[in-house]
Amino acid sequence: MLEHVLNGLYYGSVLFMIASGMTIIFGVLGILNLAHGELYALGAFCAFSIVGFFAGQVAAPTGPVTAIVFALVVLAGSLAAAAVLLPVGGALEATFVRPIYDRDEVYQLLLTYGLLLVLTDVMKFVWGPSPVDVGVFSGINEIPTTELVGFSYPSYNVLVILIGVAVFGWLVWFFDRTKTGRIVRATAINREMSTAIGVSTDRMFTLVFAIGAFFAGFGGAMVSIGPGSASLGMGLRWLVLSFVVIVIGGLGSLRGAFVGALLVGVSSRIVTPYFPQLELAVPFLLMVLVLLVRPEGLYGTWGEIQ
Amino acid sequence: MTTGLTDAMETGGIDRRTLLKTVGGSALAVALAGCTELLEGEDDPLADADVPDEPVESGLQTFTEGAPSVLGVQARYGAETAVRRINENDGIAGRQMNLDVVEESDAYLTNYQQFVDDGKDVTFGPISSSGHAEMVPEIEAQEVINVSTDGTVTTLYEEDFPDVTYSFRFQNHDVMEALAAVEQAVEVLGADSIDTYAGINPNYAFGQDEMELFSAGIEQLTGAEEVYSGFPDLGTGDMSTHITEVNSEAPDVVFSSCWGGDATLLLEQGHANDMFDAIDVLVGPVLYGSANDLSEDLVRGPIYSGSRNFYWGEPSTDRWSPAADLVDEVQSEYGVVPTAHFMSGYGAVTAWATAAEKAVRLLGRWPEQEELAMVLENHGFFTPAGYHTIGADHQGYSNAHFGELTWSDEHDAAALANVNVFAAKNVSPPPGEISADWIGSW
Repeated sequence: MLEHVLNGLYYGSVLFMIASGMTIIFGVLGILNLAHGELYALGAFCAFSIVGFFAGQVAAPTGPVTAIVFALVVLAGSLAAAAVLLPVGGALEATFVRPIYDRDEVYQLLLTYGLLLVLTDVMKFVWGPSPVDVGVFSGINEIPTTELVGFSYPSYNVLVILIGVAVFGWLVWFFDRTKTGRIVRATAINREMSTAIGVSTDRMFTLVFAIGAFFAGFGGAMVSIGPGSASLGMGLRWLVLSFVVIVIGGLGSLRGAFVGALLVGVSSRIVTPYFPQLELAVPFLLMVLVLLVRPEGLYGTWGEIQ
Repeated sequence: MTTGLTDAMETGGIDRRTLLKTVGGSALAVALAGCTELLEGEDDPLADADVPDEPVESGLQTFTEGAPSVLGVQARYGAETAVRRINENDGIAGRQMNLDVVEESDAYLTNYQQFVDDGKDVTFGPISSSGHAEMVPEIEAQEVINVSTDGTVTTLYEEDFPDVTYSFRFQNHDVMEALAAVEQAVEVLGADSIDTYAGINPNYAFGQDEMELFSAGIEQLTGAEEVYSGFPDLGTGDMSTHITEVNSEAPDVVFSSCWGGDATLLLEQGHANDMFDAIDVLVGPVLYGSANDLSEDLVRGPIYSGSRNFYWGEPSTDRWSPAADLVDEVQSEYGVVPTAHFMSGYGAVTAWATAAEKAVRLLGRWPEQEELAMVLENHGFFTPAGYHTIGADHQGYSNAHFGELTWSDEHDAAALANVNVFAAKNVSPPPGEISADWIGSW
């Protein structure tokens, strides 16, 4: 059972990294970004190119120490890959999203769906139509975990769980403790007032979209350097699951996204061995259950990042 | 257990006359068998046939992008290679052949209808089993022959569509690969040593069908008990929960029909979770379909894979030059090793093309669709993979291959060692018999 829980925490951590970006963008900008899954896929493809280059600069791991060095280099490469999404996200917001903030939601959905298709074609043009794999997963797993968690367990999963917690911690710190984060939250609550006191909402919104894209890309990088590969269409499944997570957690709530992602991850991993036919259904059943009890989600905060 | 090819071919003792006779005496058939060097100086017996001048128009639908393209692109390469060889050898009864390729996606029915509207003489694909099942009624209604490349669910022609005219399938059906996996596991471990088994299979018709057949076969042969059966979603991002269960049960045999990205995910997470220390053997009928995506560290362990109806190293390439030539050609042209899915595309085109030329010989003119469909029934033909037949049930039958997953430094790719070749008659029921009933009679 403990191993299933760890598997669930791993799965939930990946899910949180992707869903957090969507939560941030929805919580501040009010945009339900259908292209979010493709930003995640773009991160996975960038990881293939950038992490592949970085990993090639160091020797393959031969022992625990070299494996840790290798893992750190791969992690740096993943951050660099996700960083590509910062200007991409910023440019998308400034060019396409900004003009339609005041339009009906249907325009936003159509626009972001169009961006989804464009991004897919861009990735096909750059990386080709076939899946690509960084090939560093087994290297990272050279780090022994027997002493860390008491039994043999994939090092990569442990790293992803720790990174997921770190991402959550950073986001909470950023929005709660930094001046920029507080301005972003204030802007989300009252745009007119923020503008009146001299805040550039355009700049804030671009920054938020870029941060959201960054975390989508970082989630993609985590999947790409893990056991999965980067492939066209990979974003759809995670896009749908991200919706489920942010609905469970409450639209716009970072804490909700974190708890929701872990709930989805752990429950699906625990239920699957005993009721395999429910593997797909568990997240949705959980969502229905939460909505029946708390229609606003576990930590619902409309129009505000919390 | 090599049983498929003639002894003369395996020993390299075949002469030109014998080969020409074996493949039907047709220049095209010889070319597609991969023996074009034998054609010099042959007369063209089709010169007087009434055959149109315009090229044959054909269409292939396959997965050209995304995760399933691991298989689909190989099928495309195979079909293109067959068409290239056809055209380099004066076409089908003199007609050149054109091939349009479209993305299969979920548009199999629309694709087929579009091909028909475009006036295609024949269509090939899809890969998807559910797609093929959905297409069959439309194929029968439109009366334009379709030769499916894959989509191997056994029940398609056994139960769902037992009486069809224009719908055919080249690739072996599931029962052949599931039973080859049973035979392979028994050979590696011995029937008396197999007490428990488990399965991790994709959660759709193909995966469920394969697991059901494997269970029936291994329980019949060994009396083993199933201790776990998991069905991760097709294209899943995580199989760790199923691997954890397998590890806790520590079965003697694990069966997996995972393919494409799912196959590499299973091996990646299997190694990371020490699954290959917990089990005695993993048998997977289509693991080798991901050969070009496997790295050297992934093929370590007691892992045995099928290669459906074609493995490029079997018979040994120094004894069977068509297979060796094909590997060289494909590596040179596309930079990959050809897998069974390459042969799906190659074989589907070859089945139809050789049948078409046979029909021209019989009729002295280009055949109608119905006439060509009749010739395709019980049609036998060679490819570099050996001899294949299309049965009266419209199902393709070829040797099934299974071997130990290993690494080839020569080709810098995953390879199979100690390959067993199972003749179709040993791993599929006699004509007219239902597979499950046949397995139950073992």
